Order: sequence, then structure tokens, then C-alpha cells
Amino acid sequence: MLFAYAQLSLRAFAALFAPLFGGKRWRLSALFTQMVNIGVASMPTVAMANFLLGIVLAIQGAGQFQKLGATDLVASLVAFSILREIGPLITAVIVIGRSGSSITAELGTMKVAEEIEALNVMGIDPVKFLVVPRLLAMIIMMPVLTVLGEGVGLFAGWLISVTSLHLNPIFYVTNSIAAVEQKDLFTGLLKALVFGGVVGTVGCFYGIQVEGGAEGVGKATTKSVVTSLTSMLAADALLTTLIYFT
Amino acid sequence: MSETNDDYILEVRNLCRKFGSRKILTDVSFKLKRGEILIIMGGSGCGKSTLLRHIIGSLKPDSGEIFIGGQEITKLDDRGMAKVRKRFGMLFQTGALFNSLTVGDNVALPILESSDVSSSIAELVVKLKLELVGLTGFEHLKPAEISGGMKKRVGLARALALDPELLFCDEPTAGLDPVMTSVIDTLTVDLTKKLGLSAVVVTHDMTSAFRIGTQMIMLFEGRVIAQGTPEEIRNNPDPILRQFINGDADGPIPLKLSKDDYLKRLMQVE
Repeated sequence: MLFAYAQLSLRAFAALFAPLFGGKRWRLSALFTQMVNIGVASMPTVAMANFLLGIVLAIQGAGQFQKLGATDLVASLVAFSILREIGPLITAVIVIGRSGSSITAELGTMKVAEEIEALNVMGIDPVKFLVVPRLLAMIIMMPVLTVLGEGVGLFAGWLISVTSLHLNPIFYVTNSIAAVEQKDLFTGLLKALVFGGVVGTVGCFYGIQVEGGAEGVGKATTKSVVTSLTSMLAADALLTTLIYFT
Repeated sequence: MSETNDDYILEVRNLCRKFGSRKILTDVSFKLKRGEILIIMGGSGCGKSTLLRHIIGSLKPDSGEIFIGGQEITKLDDRGMAKVRKRFGMLFQTGALFNSLTVGDNVALPILESSDVSSSIAELVVKLKLELVGLTGFEHLKPAEISGGMKKRVGLARALALDPELLFCDEPTAGLDPVMTSVIDTLTVDLTKKLGLSAVVVTHDMTSAFRIGTQMIMLFEGRVIAQGTPEEIRNNPDPILRQFINGDADGPIPLKLSKDDYLKRLMQVE
């Protein structure tokens, strides 16, 4: 199982990077279709989730900081946690639920309908034809969505702080900027990049190995979502630890 | 290296395959001459689909050899297999068209993927192939917008896109009405005559089998129990074959797959 996953991932990444070393070029139209499916269509949901979490973070932070008489610190809390952790994490959760699952279901249905075997028989490599556009779209769009989500989350924190917590709108912004470094932003984006790779490979893997009709597609989709979530969290923990100690 | 006669487009020698301890194919051997249509028939679960999957290289046998156009394929790697696959086309049971692509793009796919032809040439070939199966003017529809019989014809056009020497059809007439069955059959015969290709058709539809076949083999429990021209098959006295061709409910073909005693199992119920 793990071996088969590793094998598919290696083949997929090899095919993905092949055009850089003189291999056959990417199928751009397929890539754009997937980027729209995975990325553009996820934007409203990602924005909404990050907006709500930005509000929650600001209000909960304010509740605690008020006891210390340091409500100003809300700005640093929101900025730091959204850029480093909450933004990439909640974006990945939304993408797994929306797009990871749909990749598995789509490829699984194609497998059941003999379409993947048909590709093989036509001498077309399903990894190049189906997996690469989806994986590449995932790897490109996950950081893009994360940046969007982070922006919306920061705005939500600012909005609630200014309107309900009576913080100074300008001081909030300068406090935020003072609280974070460039490293925080890059950490978040690195996480998003890795999450994209994990969700893309896991989603395709479970889709391609579907057996046994509609029931098989359902089971594979469940497994794909659960595995994506747990592996994404594991990758998050690993990256956070690594970055902390470097 | 074993030799094969160049007159034969396909040859299967002593093919054996087990799934676990169950024998699916036992010592299957047959040959197909260029320009002929071979029918593989047999009941559900007799191993005919498994046999076809071995011939197209989706499955590897435990032992035995398969030659396509003189080349042994059971030991080829993916790259070698991809080359051999350019020499044959396959019509799948459900058509296996890509739902996200139009009819025209489905037929164009193997052409565009296998070589660097420009899209205008591919478009021309698509028109030719769709004309062959009588579907000119349907290029822009999606597979979901056409009927089952039309999907099979598009599947056939796609299988023919790269001008194969050998065509495989997996139950080409399953689920079609008698008229559409006849259309597909006539088309298969016409194409083999016009284009000079050979075909392997897996089916359990006896009417269509006798209408198009020039060679037939009958599989039963993973073994070839009869082999010959339609005439020879029709006159073969084998009781299993007779029952299958006539579609009788009574005969030597076992209906019950479970071997333990029915009465005993009934009595076990508390």
C-alpha cells in the first residue's frame, strides 16, 4: 500500500519535472482546467473560512489579553497565527474536502468505467495524462489560495478589532507588521506547497486504485479524505518542528 | 526465442493463469490468421475477459506466451508494451469514452498523444474515422448526449484512429437492441474487409457470433473445449457446446456454483 503510493508519487513527480529536462511539455489546457476546478472554484469557500477564523482569533485573543490589559496584542496574535499556521491549515482542510475528494471520485469513476484501462491500451500513460495536471494544479493553487485566505483572515481580524474592540485602525496595522517577520510568511507558504503535494498525490492514488464499482468509489473517496487530512497534519507537525529548530 | 509464422497476427501458446488457488485459464492455445475474425465465446465467468486482458497486456500470465504480429508480449515492460499497443485498437464493453471530452476529441486523443501531428490533420483523420462508423457531424457532442449504440460506434472509431492491424472488441453488442447489434456486426465485418485488419471479438451473443466470425473458440472453465470455423462449431457434437449455442437451461453446464449439500445447509438454520 505505502509502497504503491510511493511508487505512484515518484512516477508522478518524475513526469511532472520531465518537461524541465527536455521531456514532452505539459498539457496546458488540462492544467488550466484543473487549476480552475481546484483553485478558482475554491476561492469563495477558502475566503469565507479564513474570514470566520480571523474573527474568532481576534475575539478570543481579546478576551484573554483584556485580563492583562494588553488588548493591543490582539494584532500580533492574529497576524502571527494566521500567517504561520491557521491560514495554510484551514485552506488545506477546505481544499481536501472540496478538491481532494473530487479528484479521487473522478479518477475512481474513470477507473470503474474502464477509461483508465482504455488510456493504457491506447499507449497513453495515465500518470502523465491524468495525475500530472491535477498534481501540478494542486501544487500551484494551494499557495495561491493560502495567500488569499491569509489576506482575508488578516482583514477579518482588523475589521472586528476596529469595530467591536475599539482598537486604533492604524496602530493595529503597524502592530501587525511589527509582530511578524518575512520568515513567518515563507513558513506558511512552504507548508502550503507541501500540503498541495500531499493532497494531490493522495487524491490521485486512491482514485486510480479503485476496485468494485460505485461502492469502491465511495470507500476510496472516504479513505482519500481521511488520509489526506492525517498526512497533512503530520506534515504540518514535522515542518513546524523542523523550522523551529533551524 | 520461439518463432512464429508471419501469416498469423495473433498467437497464444499454453497460457495459464491462477488467481490464488483458483485456475482461471488452463493451457489456452490458439492462432489467428491475418484478415480473419476470431470469436471467443463462453458463459459468464469462464475466463474470456481475463484472456482478453492478457492479450492486451493488462495482466501477465503465470506461464505461456502471447505473440502479436510475431512479437512476444508477456515479458515486455511498460515502454515496450506501449509500442505494441500502437498496433492494435480496442473497443471496450461500455465504450470507455472520456466524458469530459467531445466525441471528436475522444477520437483525436490517440492521434494527438502518439505523435506530433498538427491539430488540423488530427481533425481530418477524426472526420474520416467518424464517417467510417456513420457518425459524421456528431463531433461536438459530449458522450453523455449520445445513445449507447452511438457510444460504441465512437469507441470503434477511436479504436481505429491509429489504423491498427488488430482490433479487439469486448462484448461489442451487449446491451444493444437487435437492430443496433446488426449495425455493429455489419460494421465490424465491413471494416475488416475494407481495411484488411484482423479482429478478436469476445461475446456470448450467439446470433452475432455466427454472423461475423470466421474462426471461433469456446472457453469453458478456463479451457478451450472447441475450436474451428463456424461450420465446424455448429456441427460439433460436444454437449456443453450444444447447450451453450442453443441456450438450453438443461444440460451439462452446472448452474450451482456451491458444492455443499443444499439440504444440509437448509437444516443448519436454527
